[in-house]
Amino acid sequence: MPSLLLETENLTVTYGSYAALKKVSFSVYEGEIVAIVGPNGAGKTTLLETIAGLLRPKEGVIKIQSRDVTKLGPLQRRRLGLMLIPQEQNIFFSMSVKDNLQFGAFYENKRTTSELLKRVFQAFPKLRDRITQIAGTMSGGEQRMLAIGIGLAANSRILMIDELSLGLAPKVVGSILTLLRNIRDETGTTIVLSEQSIKALDVADRVYGLEAGEVMFAEYTQHLDRDLIKSMYLGA
Amino acid sequence: MVVQGIITGIIIGGILSLPVMGVALIYGVTGILNYAIATVGVFGAFVVWQLLPYGILPAILGGILTSFLIGYGLQQFLLNPLIKRKGNDLTLFFIITFGIATILSGLIKVLFPRPTISFEFQSHSILHIASIAVDINRVIAIAIAFGILLLMRFFEKTTKTGKSWLGTSQNLKMAKLVGVNVEFVFSLVSAIGCTLGFIGAFFWGTLYNLTLTTGWDLCFLGYIIAIVGGIGNIWGGMISALIMGIIISFTGYWLSGMWQSVLLYGIFFLVLVIAPKGILGSERSV
Repeated sequence: MPSLLLETENLTVTYGSYAALKKVSFSVYEGEIVAIVGPNGAGKTTLLETIAGLLRPKEGVIKIQSRDVTKLGPLQRRRLGLMLIPQEQNIFFSMSVKDNLQFGAFYENKRTTSELLKRVFQAFPKLRDRITQIAGTMSGGEQRMLAIGIGLAANSRILMIDELSLGLAPKVVGSILTLLRNIRDETGTTIVLSEQSIKALDVADRVYGLEAGEVMFAEYTQHLDRDLIKSMYLGA
Repeated sequence: MVVQGIITGIIIGGILSLPVMGVALIYGVTGILNYAIATVGVFGAFVVWQLLPYGILPAILGGILTSFLIGYGLQQFLLNPLIKRKGNDLTLFFIITFGIATILSGLIKVLFPRPTISFEFQSHSILHIASIAVDINRVIAIAIAFGILLLMRFFEKTTKTGKSWLGTSQNLKMAKLVGVNVEFVFSLVSAIGCTLGFIGAFFWGTLYNLTLTTGWDLCFLGYIIAIVGGIGNIWGGMISALIMGIIISFTGYWLSGMWQSVLLYGIFFLVLVIAPKGILGSERSV
């Protein structure tokens, strides 16, 4: 029976008088790939950043492995096995690819770090070619690959990626999603993806629909009526 | 005479580069305009003066320790908690650190017997560079400044701690997410920055007097030079400091103190208008 790894209860996040998230409750079990889908402005980024500890909720509880982490900072949540790759500003621009990836493996010792880097290069051979290149000089797509690489190097129990498909060609998105599913299959890493497009549904076990800060639906992907979703919420 | 002016300018600039590095480091990493940096340094210099009877080395160590601890404590116990509550409010922190500088100034007056001090080296060997006589102590001062610059750069590129503050200065969000202890990083750079301010203040005290208000002057010069050179950019700070030092040195001959200030503000304003990121550029513009 897979354990409950991550959950939020009635999470409410406000910016001044504007409520970005309203009583959002969702849960993620170990080994799952969960997708949070919704249009622009739905609150996906706010949700992930609050879970990661960058934002403080007005109300509600966040638990990692049944432990209440609502009052803990991002450092402690990272230590508990949570890693977020944000949508923007997700790399260290003036540092090399290697230094960027090493930041992902911040807590690991030298030997484990080189193992993890090897794994990242296996997944993204292009990054190995550019290992000494300064991150800011790479193309948008390569930078996004690097950001995901940092997430992989983190070797965390839960990996959250905010809008990974933004700015990437559909074929590339498809191969990265397949890669993530393979990683989940091989290492048991739990993955949470937030997406505007329905491509994430290709690999997700369950999906939550978020709109205007509220959870609209929660469903197993196989039970989902795709055409309905497509027409109501999302771009292809 | 021109060469003499240039050499003097390089000396002044080399000494100023220390508080500039301190300012650049602290602002680059924390994003806070900390106006107390140089005053902490001056406080440390007064500690040195007080401890001189025990020997020059213990005195300097005392100064370094004092500046380091005050810099660390200030960030860790006052500024970090405030950042947590209030976010990064530039004006707020400017005012608060200005207040801290005032308090430190007052403490200097209360704790130490003399409100004005200066340092005099006992031995004065003369070095001859291009037929100009230069006091070797001055050369040592610049060598130390450059040495520290190189040491810092080396530290930033090779050690984990150094990389973590470099990363924090580039992308605070990502630094937090990968698990860097940003509060510790902030306190550490504050400690190092204030210690750099101390070394600069000490050498400044060998050229001019250190008074209750020297901290303000050095900090102000530090910020102007750092911004002109591109804040957060250590090389830019050094080069900018040398140029400014030369300007100060030359204008000292035919401009009175007031006009000198006007010229410096003028350059500062010009740079802000034309190249707000500084001459060598930086990731942050003020």
